[in-house]
Amino acid sequence: MSALLHYHLALLVRSQRWLPPVLLYAVFLCVGIRSGQPVLDSLGFASACVLPVAAWLVHICVTNEPSAARNCVAAPAGSARAHLACLLVAFCTAVLLGTVAALLVTAISEPASSDHQVPVPRPAAGFAGLLAMLACALLGTAVGALTSRPLLRSTGRAVPALVLAVFLALVLAGSPAREALTDMVTGSQDGAVRIPLLPCATGAAAALAATAVACALTSRRD
Amino acid sequence: MTRSHAAKPGSRGGAGPRIRLQGAGRRYGLRGPWVLRGIDLEVPAGALLRIDGVNGSGKSTLLRLLAGLDAPSEGRVTGRPRTAYVPERFPARLPFTAEGYLIHLGRVHGLSREAAARGAAGWMERFGAGEHLRTPLSELSKGSSQKVAVSQALLAAPDLLLLDEAWTGLDAAARAELDGAVLERRAAGCSVVFVDHDPRRLAGLSDATYTVAGGALRRCAGAPAAPSVGIVALAPPGTDPAAGPPTAPFPVAPGPSGAVRLTVPATDSDAVLRDLLTTRPAWHVVSVTPLPTPADTAPRTGGPRVPAPPDATAAPDSCAAPVRPVPPPAAPVRPAPPPAAPPPASAPHAGPPPGTPSRVSGSADGGTA
Repeated sequence: MSALLHYHLALLVRSQRWLPPVLLYAVFLCVGIRSGQPVLDSLGFASACVLPVAAWLVHICVTNEPSAARNCVAAPAGSARAHLACLLVAFCTAVLLGTVAALLVTAISEPASSDHQVPVPRPAAGFAGLLAMLACALLGTAVGALTSRPLLRSTGRAVPALVLAVFLALVLAGSPAREALTDMVTGSQDGAVRIPLLPCATGAAAALAATAVACALTSRRD
Repeated sequence: MTRSHAAKPGSRGGAGPRIRLQGAGRRYGLRGPWVLRGIDLEVPAGALLRIDGVNGSGKSTLLRLLAGLDAPSEGRVTGRPRTAYVPERFPARLPFTAEGYLIHLGRVHGLSREAAARGAAGWMERFGAGEHLRTPLSELSKGSSQKVAVSQALLAAPDLLLLDEAWTGLDAAARAELDGAVLERRAAGCSVVFVDHDPRRLAGLSDATYTVAGGALRRCAGAPAAPSVGIVALAPPGTDPAAGPPTAPFPVAPGPSGAVRLTVPATDSDAVLRDLLTTRPAWHVVSVTPLPTPADTAPRTGGPRVPAPPDATAAPDSCAAPVRPVPPPAAPVRPAPPPAAPPPASAPHAGPPPGTPSRVSGSADGGTA
């Protein structure tokens, strides 16, 4: 598995296709976050932006090889394992990006509630932010896995489906990402840090299920 | 989903089939037409199988089923050996150098980084593309990229090698090298299944030929036995010729003027010659002669035989691409050409008169002798 991860990571890095989603994320953060803003609000915003980035990275990773090259890898490794490696590389890249952002935001934001009245401890806020980011990255990976190869094979369907699914994942009631963001926003309002453990768990379950479906379908639909 | 990635060499004549399709069918989409249906195929260890069929008949789909790239829509695939697959067209759209790509693929095949680098250099050199190791894949010509595709499959010594028109785009020398490499892998116990449009490709060397037509797979009757080669060799002075040559137990007979005459399957001639010439003190090879008839006197030691499916006993049917038939006793098209591997002029010509078209196997000149 480590050879597969190395291969797909090298493919992602050398293809330079990681650049647009990473730049988009940087632009989001530059526009939405200022130093001195309430920490939980900023962390919530940074987490929410990880979701589309994770979904986009998944789409890049699973379409990064021509099909003949994919077959050369899938014959020795198994097509499901090869697909799993794509998804893992995308997820880990998104988490790395989100972690850097969360730590940065925690450091530069004001450790207080939205009305600047109640102090909010930085470590607890940072931890909550990391978990919210993780929930969003997990759900973004699930969205990406379900809206690209092997489920949707043409770009014309995959990209609109991805955009729509990202939007729904952020706004639909009951979505783990929305739950995590709600925890951050309400925590910021009353100054009490809520650790979004449950959204993380449901996000992980969603990501696992989506990954299982996508990997199982690679040898059936591709 | 655990697999063994240990790169242990396959042992010749392992028990049971490497991979078996039972009633396997494949269609794309839930209601798509069946591309293949009711396929029963056993691939024994060390077998060389040829798949024939017209364009679009499902040959590639059959290879994809064997490679595990496609799951059967019905039926079963059992066995999952360490598999390598060579596509017909290998795309250059990957951001690696040839060497970088081959090292990644070698590691995916279970090799260490060092072993993968050595294998990459060795195979690219062998296919005459050693100078392209540092070239980005996107700058390689079609033939050179195909050499990369072939190298990635061979560098980890797989147990099942699937070649989907892998020869397409290779130059003549590289095609001969690939023939030789395939026969070497087969001699090491690797099962090889290949599709190629050239009916002369490894002609007479495959254990069976199958034809895909109408979604079904038929075994072509009368798949010829492998031709044999007679090797006359002289024991080094001071050794006892009666002790026999240092080769695998092939039939040995006393030859002319104190030499020893070996009858070996053409597929094994490279290995035997290598053994004879590399042993110390070396044997002197007097002559190598193709034998006219299929080697019913020289059963392949431990060699696999493809179990005959029920229809194999049927009368010879019309296979799309004819494999080389046993030459008829009547005058052949090319009457009595000189043997392709001429013995030294001074050597006593111990072989039978070359009354049939010469057919030195690909292994006689395609190996790494």
